[in-house]
Amino acid sequence: MEFTISKKEEAFREELKTWLSENLPYGWMEGKREIPTTKEEYSKFLRDWQRTLYEGGWAGIAWPKEYGGRNATIMEEIIYHQEMVRVKAPPLINYIGIHMVGPTLIRSGSEQQKQKYIQNILTGEEVWCQGYSEPNAGSDLSAIQTNATKDGDCWIINGQKVWTSYGHLADRCFLLARTNNHPEKKHKGITAFLLDMKQSGVETKPILQMDGNQEFNELYLTDAIAHDADIIGEVDEGWKVMIELMLHERVGIGAELFSLEMRFNEMVEIAKEHHVNEKPLLEDRFVRQKMAEFYARYRGSLLNYYRNLTNTLKKGHPGPESSIDKLLVSELNKEMASFMITIQGHHGVLWKENAPVDTVWQDEFLASFGQTIGGGTSEVQRNTIGERVLGLPKDRGR
Amino acid sequence: MDFALNEEQEMFREYLRKYLNDVGQTKVARNFIKGDLQGFLDIHSGLTDLGCTSINISEEYGGLGLSSLDLVPFFEEIGRSLLPGVYLETMAFAVPLLELYGTTEQKENYLPQIASGSKKITLAWLEPNKSFNPDEVECSAEINGDSLIINGVKTLVSGGDIADIYILLVRTGEEVEEGLSLVLVDHSEEIKRNNLKCVDESKHLAELKFNSLAVPINQVVGPINQGWSLLQEGLLYLNAALSSQMVGGMDRVVEMSTEYAKIREQFGQPIGRFQAIKHRIVDMKLELETARSLSYYANWTLENSSDDRAAAIYSARSFAAEAYIRSASQNIQIHGGIGFTEEIDCHLYLKRARYFENYLGSSQDYNEQVALALAW
Ligand SMILES: Cc1cc2nc3c(=O)[nH]c(=O)nc-3n(C[C@H](O)[C@H](O)[C@H](O)COP(=O)(O)OP(=O)(O)OC[C@H]3O[C@@H](n4cnc5c(N)ncnc54)[C@H](O)[C@@H]3O)c2cc1C
Repeated sequence: MEFTISKKEEAFREELKTWLSENLPYGWMEGKREIPTTKEEYSKFLRDWQRTLYEGGWAGIAWPKEYGGRNATIMEEIIYHQEMVRVKAPPLINYIGIHMVGPTLIRSGSEQQKQKYIQNILTGEEVWCQGYSEPNAGSDLSAIQTNATKDGDCWIINGQKVWTSYGHLADRCFLLARTNNHPEKKHKGITAFLLDMKQSGVETKPILQMDGNQEFNELYLTDAIAHDADIIGEVDEGWKVMIELMLHERVGIGAELFSLEMRFNEMVEIAKEHHVNEKPLLEDRFVRQKMAEFYARYRGSLLNYYRNLTNTLKKGHPGPESSIDKLLVSELNKEMASFMITIQGHHGVLWKENAPVDTVWQDEFLASFGQTIGGGTSEVQRNTIGERVLGLPKDRGR
Repeated sequence: MDFALNEEQEMFREYLRKYLNDVGQTKVARNFIKGDLQGFLDIHSGLTDLGCTSINISEEYGGLGLSSLDLVPFFEEIGRSLLPGVYLETMAFAVPLLELYGTTEQKENYLPQIASGSKKITLAWLEPNKSFNPDEVECSAEINGDSLIINGVKTLVSGGDIADIYILLVRTGEEVEEGLSLVLVDHSEEIKRNNLKCVDESKHLAELKFNSLAVPINQVVGPINQGWSLLQEGLLYLNAALSSQMVGGMDRVVEMSTEYAKIREQFGQPIGRFQAIKHRIVDMKLELETARSLSYYANWTLENSSDDRAAAIYSARSFAAEAYIRSASQNIQIHGGIGFTEEIDCHLYLKRARYFENYLGSSQDYNEQVALALAW
């Protein structure tokens, strides 16, 4: 049992730290962390950031060298996330491209597809989104109805997707559509398309979220066109490609976990500084008890993650236990943010520029609800853990 | 990064599991409840043969010279089988204190006998109607030449009737904390021992009465009047091991629920298909794994004298204590009517969980220790 990191990994961290201090957007390190809010400026700001990462050799670090990556080890990837969280780096606009679509293309894409997409994913020139969920297919993704019909070497796609993150900014979509009907086996007959978003048959409508942001969208497909060459994997076998795509997230919820750790530490600082009845909040018995409990839970989640990571390092890929990490972290995040608001008293209802401590907590609390739904709801995670980790009988109908 | 027990530790766990399976796991505790002390003593010598009682004793005193992490499989496995005894107090309190602070004579006298399984030690701290606070220790030891004269009563002494030696917290001076000492007292006829009934019947508790008992002064562990700080050091070891012992119990509880949910059918299907059951077991599993990670790390910090050891150990302890009660309770519910019977082990785990809940301090006390350790 050891938690040390090697000299090489330490050097990697130092290199990244130095690079970040020299290349983060102007004023970022000093705390001026503002991202423009209009769609165009927002998109440009984040694309520029990704371009900077790319030029410094810090985009897609886990990718093989021949595709522009660094062949980073899992530990290096972890360090990468730790450092990005530490400096509160701007979000990666092409997260889906870099962490999911790119690696899938590298493994299973055709030569032509690699030529066409890989480079632009890294540079941020082409931002990707994922089109899975539909109004009638959420947790039960195999119920998708969006269909693609063949017409010569073209596919005509019709239907509606929903909750498409980054859809309004994206140039390309990793889209699942039905190409065949197997009422008995619903996950058969689904095909994965690499769809061009910049065409008249594709329309996005941003959806206003409960936290005030507009990050996800409705996505309407009306005679949208894809070609044979845009299919990844085999026709009717898109389910497999999607499963593969998820497996590429080899460091799992690392980044979220490191953010949680940072927020915990910030929470402690606030509870030290914030006074109620002339006493620091942290001296309040109730607050201390709760915070000590949160300490155990966040440390426990982090250590669980390291234990699962140890398995991943041994086996080369994550096991079903990674669902445990996702469930623990997203639920804990929600409770911690909630607690932070509770202890602000009635002032906790103040928001934005009037928020008493840091508006981050109000935002975080609201945003935390997305994390227990997106990427598989907590209930679905529990099913996965129950069935795949504990071996309990499967839900009927699946 | 390697956060897992090593191969030897896992192998040792397998040996132990097999041995305890062969003797019927909780059967030992059940027979002990019925009054069969000999059955337990037989298992004790079996465990001694496997090396369990010498793990963390240094080689020069007949031990294996291993460390806290090597105790983890042992404590998890005895937690799983609800084994009676005073292993926690002997292996994870007396041994580290003797190794760290014992005189050569004390080490020579006690460590080989612990290693060979012939001596068992427990801790006598609490007094009737008192708390664990230092100002409430009244049991006194007066210096009289080369002797200490002990007067007072200790209660709720774990394994009081099977232990051969007590480590007694006694008042030797005026100062609240720096007037306390730890002293090794061999059991003798002069000590009046009264057994107390315990909800967890696989745990024997005793009240000990000392009436001008003379003990040689060289039986004091560490410097005189420094007992309280020694006790704090010992509690780190004890609680790290205790968290592992609770993890072992929880592991079995989750396993029982999972197994039962797979085979029990109602409404034409295994109950494990109902999410009210499935999700509950998953939540138990999450707490189990969290507790396990915390306990591994707690024991790692001891082995590596890490700065965060107090926070790590006490958070492991209080998390595990709370989680153990929750999962042992759910386990009963998941078993339905049969879970309410004496015949099924469910209740034994719940009772053990309750026994540990406030042992040597409450979860709130230990949370407060965490807060202090973090300089809050
Ligand atoms: C912030 C955010 C970003 C997202 N980004 C994307 C994206 O980029 N692309 C994309 O395709 N989708 C995206 N989604 C959609 C997300 O994947 C779905 O919301 C999610 O899978 C749940 O589907 P649903 O919303 O239809 O809810 P439902 O599936 O209708 O679920 C409703 C409730 O029923 C429960 N439930 C459903 N099935 C079961 C079951 N078998 N057992 C127990 N309970 C069950 C759920 O847990 C939930 O509580 C995003 C969602 C969010 C919140």
